[in-house]
Amino acid sequence: MNSMKRDKKDEEEGGGGGLFSSLDKTTVLQEARLFNETPVNPRKCTQILTKILYLLMQGEELGTREATDTFFAMTKLFQSKDIVLRRMVYLGIKELSTVAEDVIIVTSSLTKDMTGKEDLYRAAAIRALCSITDSSMLQSIERYMKQAIVDKSPSVSSAGLVSSLHLMASSGEIIRRWVNEAQEAANSDNMLVQYHAIGLLYAVRKTDRLAVIKLVSKYTSLAVRSPFATCMLIRIACRLMEDDPDNDSTYQDFLESCLRHKSEMVIYEAAHAIVNLKRTGARELSPAVSVLQLFCSSPKATLRFAAVRTLNKVAMRQPTAVTACNLDLENLISDSNRSVATLAITTLLKTGAESSIDRLMKQIASFVSEISDEFKVVVVQAIRALCVKFPRKHGVLMTFLSSLLREEGGLDYKAAIADTLITIIEENPEAKETGLAHLCEFIEDCEHTALAVRILHLLGKEGPRTNKPSRYIRFIYNRVILENACVRAAAVSALARFGALVDELTTNILVLLCRCEMDSDDEVRDRAAYYRCILENQDRSLSSHFILNEFQEGEGEPREGMLMTEKKPSAVTKTRQETLAQQLLNIPALAALPLGQLFKSSMPTDLTESETEYVVQCIKHVFPQHVVLQFECRNTLPDQLLENVRISLEIPAGFELVSEIPCPRLEYNTPGNVYSCIRLPDDPQLAMEGTFEATMKFVVKDCDPNTGLPDSDYGYDDEYIVRNDPEVYFLFPLRFLEYFWFYLQLEEVEVATGDFLVKVIEGDFQSAWDGLGEENQVTETFELPYKSLEEAVTKIVKFLSLHPSERSDRVQAGKTTHTLYLSVASLRFLLTSFL
Amino acid sequence: MGGLLSYFKSLFGSREMRILILGLDGAGKTTILYRQVSPEILVGEVVTTIPTIGFNVEQVTYKNLKFQVWDLGGQTSIRPYWRCYYSNTDAVIYVVDSADRDRIGISKQELVSMLEEEELRGAVLVVLANKQDLSGAMSVAEVHQALGLDALRARTFQIFKTSATKGEGLDTAMEWLANALTNKK
Ligand SMILES: Nc1nc2c(ncn2[C@@H]2O[C@H](COP(=O)(O)OP(=O)(O)O)[C@@H](O)[C@H]2O)c(=O)[nH]1
Ligand SMILES: [Mg+2]
Repeated sequence: MNSMKRDKKDEEEGGGGGLFSSLDKTTVLQEARLFNETPVNPRKCTQILTKILYLLMQGEELGTREATDTFFAMTKLFQSKDIVLRRMVYLGIKELSTVAEDVIIVTSSLTKDMTGKEDLYRAAAIRALCSITDSSMLQSIERYMKQAIVDKSPSVSSAGLVSSLHLMASSGEIIRRWVNEAQEAANSDNMLVQYHAIGLLYAVRKTDRLAVIKLVSKYTSLAVRSPFATCMLIRIACRLMEDDPDNDSTYQDFLESCLRHKSEMVIYEAAHAIVNLKRTGARELSPAVSVLQLFCSSPKATLRFAAVRTLNKVAMRQPTAVTACNLDLENLISDSNRSVATLAITTLLKTGAESSIDRLMKQIASFVSEISDEFKVVVVQAIRALCVKFPRKHGVLMTFLSSLLREEGGLDYKAAIADTLITIIEENPEAKETGLAHLCEFIEDCEHTALAVRILHLLGKEGPRTNKPSRYIRFIYNRVILENACVRAAAVSALARFGALVDELTTNILVLLCRCEMDSDDEVRDRAAYYRCILENQDRSLSSHFILNEFQEGEGEPREGMLMTEKKPSAVTKTRQETLAQQLLNIPALAALPLGQLFKSSMPTDLTESETEYVVQCIKHVFPQHVVLQFECRNTLPDQLLENVRISLEIPAGFELVSEIPCPRLEYNTPGNVYSCIRLPDDPQLAMEGTFEATMKFVVKDCDPNTGLPDSDYGYDDEYIVRNDPEVYFLFPLRFLEYFWFYLQLEEVEVATGDFLVKVIEGDFQSAWDGLGEENQVTETFELPYKSLEEAVTKIVKFLSLHPSERSDRVQAGKTTHTLYLSVASLRFLLTSFL
Repeated sequence: MGGLLSYFKSLFGSREMRILILGLDGAGKTTILYRQVSPEILVGEVVTTIPTIGFNVEQVTYKNLKFQVWDLGGQTSIRPYWRCYYSNTDAVIYVVDSADRDRIGISKQELVSMLEEEELRGAVLVVLANKQDLSGAMSVAEVHQALGLDALRARTFQIFKTSATKGEGLDTAMEWLANALTNKK
């Protein structure tokens, strides 16, 4: 309170505000009553209006009543012929038009001003008039608007055009009738009128692609004089190009011709457009880059900035295209404008050679403290790209980054640095220890909780596998003592991982966890107790499951019932697998078969299109010697009842149909199951591939949609409708019914390798792999028909239905080799895929 | 000294009078206003108008007197706003379409409720029975009767017959008004 008072006084003493420094709404509105007096005092009234406008601009809000009163008082000022006052009134009308009621009261007066002799009134009156006009009133001023658009005076014409543009949103239909006038204005010699006219024409036609194409081709061939209009045409042309990637080269030619325009604005717009077009290749890029290169040495700072910023973007995607500008960029490093300098350096970092890095980094360091966070992030991103490109430079780069970490900065900036360090660590094994050390140092003094948690997570993941894991414990445990609950909880989880992975540390970690159980926060205590309980068991598989896995599934989700149970926790929750197995056992015909233990059930696959009347999905249940195909059928027609539903399968060689269980009755919207049990071939090679052609067979009865009972009209002696084709209905006498089945061709059912593999969420792939032993490992080389590594990785993961370990499904851009770890447990063999 | 006196005199003489022209829509108010604004418009020449949404305000000079004349729109939706413009009014010119027998009743109601307004208590009233050129137009006496002007007390007022489009009768009315306003001072 005190400080606020002092601030106010300081302001007064500063005396900056003058007349407007301490305006009060109520007082000003009180003063506005002066508007009602005759004769009008123009000077005083102008001043009061200025105050009102000032207040509104400051964000002061008027109530409807206040606004309406002020508005009507203001209308009295129309009696004065003072030009300045009248123009202030226009502004007042525009500002109050959205709050005050019955603002149409000034329609006649404004119409008169917009058509009158006083040129100083006309444009402003048009703008004010349009602000109080809705589509119902617009008709009555339509004639004047059309006249205004084609008026000789550019300011009137522009005002008419721009106001029309604003009215498009509410009264598009009426404005569309003014196209002829707009077209006439588009031929104007005045640069702004032409720009505004083409803008309005575009707004009117925006939704009609063909009309836009016509518009662009008309005005691009006409050689429009206004550079503003040309810039707009460039943007519209780009939109057209992006919408339709395989159009001809007309627009491209237009863009390139704009690169030779005499206006710098147009040249830049064209270059910027070309650079940003998705379809732009090296051929199209080079002329654009050339003009940007010229701009780099322009005496105008804005042009230099625009050019280097655009080049910077190009450098991210096509660094080679920018190499030609390296010399010009070098000159910009010492530019007095820091933004230009930063962008120049970061662009060079992307395009330059390895040898120039040290020099450039020194250069940046000299002024990094002077630039804003936003640009610092640009610097960090450039460094990140560099680390990927030149792994050997990680030493210099990391030292630089960690020095940045120590300085002031917002979360985004710090997160960008941390991200970059983390990327370096993940990418570059040599950099790991130094990188982790930098991060440890950083979290000693990190005010961003989110960031600290992420780094602790990383320490828990990478730390135990370093040469000297113990050195990290101190940093992590310090967090437990010094930080907030969120960070403490993350620290506890990280400690637990060390305990689980590094045998020599387990005892110490247990002691630390014990201390954490004294924490004031529930979550921290729970985690500590949970981890201690698991670690004390000294059971590798237990900790592998419940300490190490958790890191893949997300922080802080202790499993249900874990702390209470003495048994192996996997028995506690019932999995989908177990539920499905139970369901199968409940079917007597299946339970009678010697199937053995259910190994895996697939996810349901659709055998019908989603929109069909009968929907069939298939789930494959794999047993040691058998596969049970479960066909879940659904009837979506309320007036039909299906009976005796069967799925007939074409059984490939080697497989053998053991048993089939039809669904006797399929009512509307109640799913029913058909089962087929198939014995797998003894040759495991064959068992991995099988394609079953499937056909659904059934009898249809019409029924009452309300009761679901067969229609009484169709007594058993009468007819049933049997559908043979979705489009054609046949009528058959009942006595023939049994002989007429309806056949519905389904998608093929495939049994493939993936069905025999189970995803195992294996927290620590390396230890699990090592644990398998030599005899279980096979190396094979495959030639795969995929274009990119990313594609290959996703396809393989999907095809084998396996779980990628250690986030190895993320492929680093630009690399040529990639190791994909897939965890598998298979019934008959164990397969691991390397790429 | 004499110069200063005449200066004050001219200052006083040029004080603007504030006049409202009221009446139902289509009565001829706007036509009348613009005939006053541009006296050069010849008798018999046509003034074209469009319906007034809101108001027109103009300065009119008549015999060295300056009037600030407000012509307020007469549509039902705009009539409620008349009152916003009542204060400081010296005179009201109430225009009636003498040929519009259907709405003369409504015209009377509007007139009566307007005259009840406190702010207009001292205002001089001129009633113009307009559109006298039209066949079937009510006579001045009929209009006088239909508006119930008999009941007026303590009000300086006069009724005239006019034809705004032809420019007839307006001069007489203005002359009377100018005199009435000068005498009132
Ligand atoms: N015949 C005739 N028509 C008139 C006379 N005065 C006005 N009008 C017409 O009546 C219509 C409405 O006039 P206007 O001045 O706009 O009326 P306002 O609504 O009261 O302002 C216009 O078409 C005028 O030409 C008149 O004295 N005689
Ligand atoms: Mg009118």
